[in-house]
Amino acid sequence: MAIILGAGIVVKLVLLLLLSFSVISWAIILFKFFQVQRAKSESERFMDFFWKSKRFDSIASQVDRFANSPLTVLFNEGYSELKKVVDSDSKSDGSALSTDLGGVENVSRALRRATNSEITRLEKYLTFLATTGSTSPFIGLFGTVWGIMTSFEGIGKTGSASLAVVAPGIAEALIATAIGLVAAIPAVMAYNHFQHKIRVLINEMDSFSTEFLNIVQRNIAGK
Amino acid sequence: MNSRTARIDTGVSVSFIASAVIHLAVFLLLVWWGRLFPHNMALQETYYVDVVTLPVAAPQSGGGAQQPGEAAAPPPPAPAPPMAVPAPPKASPAGIAKPVKLATPRETAETESAFAQRMANLERNSEARREEAVLEKLRNRVKAVSAPRAGTPGAAGAEAGSRYADYVKSRLEDALKVTSSYTTKSPEVAVRLTIAADGRLARIKIERSSGDASFELAVRRAIDLASGKFTAPPDGATFENGFVFKPKGITNGPSR
Repeated sequence: MAIILGAGIVVKLVLLLLLSFSVISWAIILFKFFQVQRAKSESERFMDFFWKSKRFDSIASQVDRFANSPLTVLFNEGYSELKKVVDSDSKSDGSALSTDLGGVENVSRALRRATNSEITRLEKYLTFLATTGSTSPFIGLFGTVWGIMTSFEGIGKTGSASLAVVAPGIAEALIATAIGLVAAIPAVMAYNHFQHKIRVLINEMDSFSTEFLNIVQRNIAGK
Repeated sequence: MNSRTARIDTGVSVSFIASAVIHLAVFLLLVWWGRLFPHNMALQETYYVDVVTLPVAAPQSGGGAQQPGEAAAPPPPAPAPPMAVPAPPKASPAGIAKPVKLATPRETAETESAFAQRMANLERNSEARREEAVLEKLRNRVKAVSAPRAGTPGAAGAEAGSRYADYVKSRLEDALKVTSSYTTKSPEVAVRLTIAADGRLARIKIERSSGDASFELAVRRAIDLASGKFTAPPDGATFENGFVFKPKGITNGPSR
């Protein structure tokens, strides 16, 4: 306590900045942890449900149960696009082949767009973790360098370089680096962890899109 | 879609609050921990040094040489000139430090009135010192109950000898402030110094030590440093006294 209170204004500001970095990055870590966890478990349940159901419209009526899964977003987007295609198809009553291909293309595009937006949603705020992980050690180091500079000034004034004069200033200065590292380490670990988890979710979304397109194409072709 | 973004935002704010609460909890935990186990790193302790005069075990050499009647005569001329070197501001006889602080900056521009004032100060100080000596005598007497070796001759000598002993003590304090270093928590070294009639350091004997080698070394260096500047003891007698060296914790450093 006394270390922090006795520090100079610059060191105090640095410590405050690092503290806010730490608070925000932990907020993001908690938020992302629950978001990714829910997305993962609900995706699994949704896939079970998806393979058990026979019809898209029965899935569409139940899809709200899995609202946290990114796959349901893909499903909703793909399903609504498919419905539009089928509606326009039945309205125009044109040649089957061209609308089939165009319809599948449309659905594919809709799925890709939904995938992208879901990736963006999952990766939101993660950049802050990366920033914290890479910059807060440097910020802490800055505080340390500044603190050591002022403590050397103190040595110059007192003219005594005994350990008694040097040590408190240096201890005071080093705490900035310590707090910088305390802020950075969890941020880097969480960033890598979430990157991995999100990559898994993206793979799941990709394979789901493929499956969805396969089913659509099979059904349209079989019509 | 709208409900989803709304939910995300509440999720963020909830986790933000949770994070702030966690940080606060960790902070309080650290404070509580620090109160529970106060770290013995003692960051605020500077190596301020107090040199305590030992009650002389064999008073015949130090104390016996001077009679109480002679006490008044030697002090003013002898200690005053060397006091130009600033004494430590926290030295226990505050009387020594004060006039020095007044004198040193304007040594050159000293007028008659200032000199008179200084003399008055010195006189007042000697008054204070005499009071202190009486207290010291009382203390010695209290000690004498448990340790009968410090008898009345020692007590009588303390009054006269303490003048020169205080001077040596403050020299040693100044020196120890430069050389001080220690590794254990509260080191203590007791040294018996014998100063010959010409002011030369005749004998150094370490009576006891708490076993901190670096502090012992610091004390030796401090004695070396100080012994170059000793004035001769009053009225041509050898001076022998014990000094206890120990650091005393004071506020954190740079403010000095």
